[in-house]
Amino acid sequence: MVSPYAPIRDGIAAYALQTVRQLRRQGNEVDAVSPVPSAARYHLRLTGWRGPLALARMTPEYDRVIVQFHPDMFYPRGCLPAERVAVSLGLALALRRSRRSEVVVHEIDYNRLVAPLQRRAFRTFLDAAGTITVHTKTERARLARALGLPMSRIGVREHNADFEAGTHHDRSSARASLGIPSDAHVFLCIGFLQPHKGFDRALRAFAALRSAASRLYVVGSVRVDEPEYALHAAELRALAEATPGAELRNGYLTDELFDRWIVAADTVVLPYRLIWSSGVMGRAALLHRPVIASNVGGLRDQAPEGTVLVDSDAELLAAMRHAVGGDPGAALPAGPAAAAAPRFRAPAGATAEAILSLVRARASEIRQGSGLPDLGERAGRPSEDRLVALAPLQPPTAGRSGSRLRRDLKRAVARLTRWEIDPLVQHVNALHAAVLEALSGDRSGDSGHG
Amino acid sequence: MTRRPRIAVVPPRYGDDVIGGAEAVLREMAEGLVMRGWEVEALTTCARNHYTWENELPEGMSVEGGVTVRRFPTVVSGDMAVKHELEAALLAGAHLDITAQQTWANAGLRVPGLFDHLLDHGEEYGAVIFAPYMFWTTYACAPLVSERAVLMPCLHDEPYARLDIYAPLFRGAADIWFLSEPERDAAERLFGSLPRHAVIGSGIHPPEAYDVDGFRTRSGVTGRFVLYAGRREGGKGWEVLLEQLDHIFARAALPFSVVTMGVGPVHPPPAMAGRVVDLGLLPAGEMPGAFAAAAAYLQPSLMESFSRTIMEAWLAGTVVIGNGLSSVVRWHCERSGGGLLYRDEAELQACLEFVADQPEVAARLASRGRDYVLSHYRWPAVLDTVEARLMELATCAS
Repeated sequence: MVSPYAPIRDGIAAYALQTVRQLRRQGNEVDAVSPVPSAARYHLRLTGWRGPLALARMTPEYDRVIVQFHPDMFYPRGCLPAERVAVSLGLALALRRSRRSEVVVHEIDYNRLVAPLQRRAFRTFLDAAGTITVHTKTERARLARALGLPMSRIGVREHNADFEAGTHHDRSSARASLGIPSDAHVFLCIGFLQPHKGFDRALRAFAALRSAASRLYVVGSVRVDEPEYALHAAELRALAEATPGAELRNGYLTDELFDRWIVAADTVVLPYRLIWSSGVMGRAALLHRPVIASNVGGLRDQAPEGTVLVDSDAELLAAMRHAVGGDPGAALPAGPAAAAAPRFRAPAGATAEAILSLVRARASEIRQGSGLPDLGERAGRPSEDRLVALAPLQPPTAGRSGSRLRRDLKRAVARLTRWEIDPLVQHVNALHAAVLEALSGDRSGDSGHG
Repeated sequence: MTRRPRIAVVPPRYGDDVIGGAEAVLREMAEGLVMRGWEVEALTTCARNHYTWENELPEGMSVEGGVTVRRFPTVVSGDMAVKHELEAALLAGAHLDITAQQTWANAGLRVPGLFDHLLDHGEEYGAVIFAPYMFWTTYACAPLVSERAVLMPCLHDEPYARLDIYAPLFRGAADIWFLSEPERDAAERLFGSLPRHAVIGSGIHPPEAYDVDGFRTRSGVTGRFVLYAGRREGGKGWEVLLEQLDHIFARAALPFSVVTMGVGPVHPPPAMAGRVVDLGLLPAGEMPGAFAAAAAYLQPSLMESFSRTIMEAWLAGTVVIGNGLSSVVRWHCERSGGGLLYRDEAELQACLEFVADQPEVAARLASRGRDYVLSHYRWPAVLDTVEARLMELATCAS
């Protein structure tokens, strides 16, 4: 099994783990080969032209080789066309050397297949595979069209074919364990917090729903700490905080917790802007939870009976309204996300100071209405906790890695620069202590005001 | 009535010569459960040494103290230079993104065979007890059996505990067993509302005898000494303790040498070289004599979730001088009235002077400590709690 692998948190890793479990249960001996250290028995750096060649040295040893294919696993970001061609041909070689092979295509970057040479090389790779598998008919048709492959060469295997329920919780116990009201209609968006998942669309639709009897939980974590994703997570947090009944649970999940959330939900919402196929839709089907999903990628093919597919934000809102029985319960005042009514009535000639006091008054209302902690509490305590956790800064050391010569050189540099570094280190540590002391003083002062 | 299910314990190392609090608790718990008629397996590595993780013990199945032990080979791989850099950044207070956290956690020790065993057979166990939280054997393997995973975290409030990758262990375990109330409080501070959990404590076996004379004869240790037992590591406060003692011995006349037993390099400061005696890893039967012969036991560690060595010292009638900045050490000392707490070098010096001047009063303190251990930390009571929770878990799972 050539794939990202647990405990790395990744959709394909989770998919591969389920398949490995099934294959082992059928009596197969399965070794996983993953691109980074993990629970796989072997790890190979698979990106670049050397990766497939290293793989080609291993594949003859196995009776069957399964590659869970995602372009990022093999093609370096921003690599030149020549290297892309080399990688594709290397993969073809790795498969040709195996006795039996299968490529499960999770995603393809079609933009890269416009250039004839790249397309031909990629086709050579897939031609070398004994079996090519995708998860929906739409993907099959698109792949066949893009590469001129006969449809019969591409199999369709349901995304959840190897899935098993990862939790034994029922709805009630799942809700109790996750701190979810037992009587609310619960909408759930779950997965990595990435713009293409469109969870912001669900939050906006939910704000417009204005349902007191419903909750929307957006659950997941930022997969990669890149500015784009961090900004998106911040946007989701702001939207959730401004939307009564909505909550962002930003955190890393195990497979069991993932399934527990789905079991706790009444409706799973997948407002994706872009997707090939969806593991969440597969898991929702397995756990018998209805889904509202965007009509993108192969979701139409993948969607089980009863899934509501939507083509616009208006349809998404209508579907969510329908899910709560058309009657959203006692209507709530619209949150800012709905942008229904103006919230400020500052006179035209108001000073900045006056506007600021209005803004603060409004923020106070929002906090009261949403149960958000007091500003002082929210702003002060976590930072203090993090400050307390900071170990005193130490001067740089030669470290334990590298050659002896390099370590000696580092030591010499450290000695030569100590007169400059040490006062800085002391100063930073003194600042750390002073900030902690000041925060501690602020807190004891706050408590004195009762 | 629910049948007693088969249980697994998953420590990173297993055996009566393994130094480590979590490992010792799991082994004694496993053996205690076997004595009570439970079927218990220990799923662990072939390693003894947690610095090298070298495969020293044979792979496969054996029976030790009635426990079926399955050992799986370790694989040590990944970019260790990157791991060390990430670790240094983490300890300096830097935030690691999730990719970096995963890289850090998966570089170094991995045990694919153990992972595969739980993937294939995890559901055959009624409960799988993992300890401690931060090792790969827990981080990677517990999520495979979340609904039957019992986490015995042995948690300290340390930078590692703030990594995102560990939060699901605490939020997703079927049950969490803490060794002390301060440990539980730390978990609640770090992870918020916890799932099902309990403070189960830990049992200590009172030794049958304390052979002080035999210990002195065999070890060659003479005169009055203070003792430190365990891992000689910065994280356990050993280096700071040596530095403080170096300063203290330079300015105060104290009649003690410093005796240490355990693993890890000792590195005494030059001025103390003749005053520090390293006994290395003593046979289990020799340790009680060492504890009983000491004038005081020093516990400098901030990072304690239970501190077995404090209990062993008290049982031996030896007063404890403990780091008052450790919530767990402070908690035991304050509850028992059997220890002296210090917060800085001056207080440590004062504690040592007190023991030097008034050993009989120190011994009276220690006897309170002994009463405390015997009334709170006996295996029969701990095992009663463990059995009840295992049965509850089995009922839930069935």
